[in-house]
Amino acid sequence: MVPLAIARQTVREALRRRVMWIFLICGLFLIALGPVFGFLSPKDSQTVLRSLGLAAILLAGLFITIVTCIYLIPVEIERRTIYTILSKPVQRYEFVLGKFLGGFAVVFINIAAMGVVFLLMIRFQEGKVPPDMYKGVFLTFFQMMLLAALTIFFSTFATPVLNFFMSFGIFIVGNLSSVTESLTTSRVKATQIAGTIIHYLLPNFGNFNIQNTLIHPTQEITNPDVFIKQNILYALIYSAVLLILAVIIFDRREV
Amino acid sequence: MAAAISIQGLTKKYVDVWQKQEVVAVNNLNLTVQEGEIFGFLGRNGAGKTTTIKMLLGLVFPTAGDATLLGKPMGDNAVKHHLAYLPEETYFYDSMTGWDILDFYARLFKIPEPERRRRVQICLEKVRLQPDAWHRSIRGYSKGMRQRTGIAQALINDPKVLFLDEPTSGLDPIAHAELRDIVASLKDEGKTVFLSSHQLADVELICTRVAIIHRGKLLTEGTIKDLVSGDFAEVVVQGKTLRNGAIDKIKLLAPHCDMGPDDTLRITLVDEEKINAIIDIVRSAEARVISVVPHKRTLEDVFVETVRKEDGS
Repeated sequence: MVPLAIARQTVREALRRRVMWIFLICGLFLIALGPVFGFLSPKDSQTVLRSLGLAAILLAGLFITIVTCIYLIPVEIERRTIYTILSKPVQRYEFVLGKFLGGFAVVFINIAAMGVVFLLMIRFQEGKVPPDMYKGVFLTFFQMMLLAALTIFFSTFATPVLNFFMSFGIFIVGNLSSVTESLTTSRVKATQIAGTIIHYLLPNFGNFNIQNTLIHPTQEITNPDVFIKQNILYALIYSAVLLILAVIIFDRREV
Repeated sequence: MAAAISIQGLTKKYVDVWQKQEVVAVNNLNLTVQEGEIFGFLGRNGAGKTTTIKMLLGLVFPTAGDATLLGKPMGDNAVKHHLAYLPEETYFYDSMTGWDILDFYARLFKIPEPERRRRVQICLEKVRLQPDAWHRSIRGYSKGMRQRTGIAQALINDPKVLFLDEPTSGLDPIAHAELRDIVASLKDEGKTVFLSSHQLADVELICTRVAIIHRGKLLTEGTIKDLVSGDFAEVVVQGKTLRNGAIDKIKLLAPHCDMGPDDTLRITLVDEEKINAIIDIVRSAEARVISVVPHKRTLEDVFVETVRKEDGS
């Protein structure tokens, strides 16, 4: 009950942040522009709509997630609202868990809003919604959920500004998994070690980027359902590990 | 009477890494607060009052020492069901209404409906927040209304021990008096109040015992009655004839005498019975009694003297 109460309060406060609404509106606007760009390129209008839509959800989702989650814990400490929470019988892990759940809920609301508009645009344009488009939105949500977990983990000890750059940077590097994978086979030992650490330690955001295979069906994933299930499981387990680490750190943090 | 709060050797040191120095916020504090007391915890700004409270509530971790709250060790989460805290400068989520914020805090105590609704209403009525403000956004509340809401959230779980940090700070005289009376009434309900305040007149009025802390160190502790004992009187007499042996007789009764200009003698004495004897001596010397002024020591006098003595030493 306690983590849910904190999660509910977290969602309430996060949805009041104007910057979140700005990014959401921008994302929705970009998705809505899909048919216009498709009109300009009639041969590839379907591809343009799908790629622009998914990219808009990813881009807007990225900024919404980071900008919302970097403040979830620090703002409570800065405004001292945390005093009247932690002085009550609220375990520190309940507080952190509540923040995680609240953060995930905010991500879900935003991705769902953009996803609904995107799918409606697809239906409007193509007459039906291919199942793969649902998968694209679905995986983007889990990708952003993992990013939210990472950002909230950093927020237990880092300032919002530092957190922004760390989360953004790791997201970029995490999307370059093909590059980091190539480092693991480098002939230079130091590079190999560094590459291995980066490739396996940092979250692999790149695995969630299946836009190319969705948009260009000629490129196939061997077993799509297994692929999707593995990625979801990966996101859930990695998020759980980040939650545990966040609890450990926050447990000793003075407020 | 059982101890509601027992503090042994509580110490908090902060290390300033950049300036390479250690700051001692609380220094080997030993204190006991009995159940049912309103205990005043006094000190200058930065004396360590809030740090002490935060350590007791687990918001900050002590460097050394220990404490128990209602018999349970400090940091025990279960005992927090019986505690309450009103921080100085209480901050709330501005977008929420008074009712919603109390409902939120009640959920943190896992109070189910409909009991939660009942408690919220009782607490808002108890702090005399106008009903038409209950469902208004806290952003529109005055300072007094925010403080009332703060006290209400401290009462939501019907606590046994309340930690109140400057509950009447910055309030208008009427709100100040009302909230002071609310705090005083908590004693009648058998609650223990740990009150940190600069409003010494209030503390003197409602507290059972007080402690004075300075630079993290406990300077003195005791009942109000014991601390402010030592009333004295000042007698002012005048006359050239005093110099004809009368002053020597007066000094035998009251060693603290100051001869000022115009043959004026100021006498300070704590034994009121000696006033009459001194007046008799003055009349015999055919001098004049200008004034006899009794002085009642206040908590402020005690506070200032105690802190200045510590600073001087």
